Amino acid sequence: MIAGLKPRRAAQAGTAATGRDADTEEQPARGRRAGRKGRTLLALVLAALLLTGGTLLVLADRTAHAPGAANQALTDGEQTRRVIADISDALTTVFTYTPDDLATTERRAHDVLRGKAAEDYRALFGKLRRQVTKQKLSLTTRVVRAGAVELTGGKARLLVFLDQRAKREGAKATTAAAQLSITARLDDGHWTITDIKAR
Amino acid sequence: MARTTFRHRTKLSLASAAAALALGFAAWTGSSWYAAAHDDSAHFARTRDEVLAAGEQAVLNMNTLDHRDLERGLDAWEQSATGDLLDELREGRVEFEKQVRTARTVTTADVLSGAVTELDEREGRAGVLIAVRITVDPPKKKPSTKESRLLGELTRTGDGWKLSGLGQAPAGETPTDTPSD
Repeated sequence: MIAGLKPRRAAQAGTAATGRDADTEEQPARGRRAGRKGRTLLALVLAALLLTGGTLLVLADRTAHAPGAANQALTDGEQTRRVIADISDALTTVFTYTPDDLATTERRAHDVLRGKAAEDYRALFGKLRRQVTKQKLSLTTRVVRAGAVELTGGKARLLVFLDQRAKREGAKATTAAAQLSITARLDDGHWTITDIKAR
Repeated sequence: MARTTFRHRTKLSLASAAAALALGFAAWTGSSWYAAAHDDSAHFARTRDEVLAAGEQAVLNMNTLDHRDLERGLDAWEQSATGDLLDELREGRVEFEKQVRTARTVTTADVLSGAVTELDEREGRAGVLIAVRITVDPPKKKPSTKESRLLGELTRTGDGWKLSGLGQAPAGETPTDTPSD
């Protein structure tokens, strides 16, 4: 009950309260009650609108920043084709060599490998070099299929299926199938490989 | 009296201003949500992820089979497939069941990595690359594992994306080459 009503009621209590008096007193009370109802309703509607708005905002943000939305693999067709072409090219040349032309392969590796991939390759090549010249080994690599798993900004992860055909002079060639997970980085407009993992 | 009307008016205009603001806020958030939800590239990205998830699950299903529970295993195969692949599976089911029952093998699989290579939303077709490790456990022998590289073709059905084709990525295709293993 509204506090302001009480004193007036108390004052009237002494005088004979006629039916008319009671009526005139009822009127504003009802009006106020209606006003209060209106206010409550308005507050509820406002709260509902704000809540809806807030929920929509969260939903919109979640949709726009969904884990998959940032990944541009395939959604950016041009960039996807480029990274696949660059990396396929890089893998083919880095894992293709002949005993007479190891230098070319090494130079190419220097161009397209970075970070951990470059370190691993140097270690591997150091061991391999002697064997390759002594046993006249040659390796030919061919990319069978490649796909972008993830592409965000200047970084990418790829899955590459490749065939490696190894041949020792005087022996029959053997073909091995491999599947690699590649981590790549865009460096000066060219995609370079930062990590290679056999799958 | 004049004072109360004035106060009443102020309250009323404040309330309407608040209502207008709240409405405006709701409308703005509504439209930005609509825009985000109907963003073409976001939608395409979502479909791509759906395709990959469906492809990986289907490949997993079709490389999992326990000779003790053939019915359920092969039902899962069929549920993962549609089109030509489903026809093939149904055709070969009886014969295949017989083979597995004799061999008494338990086959399990792990998906190592996967990527969507093609996606045509309008046609409802997609292509995936999936690398899996398959473990075959025969009776009285040690289980053997092998890595397999698969090419899958998916088709959209009323019940989600399903495999309509599945095969090994071809190896050693160079004309001068004869695979020795």
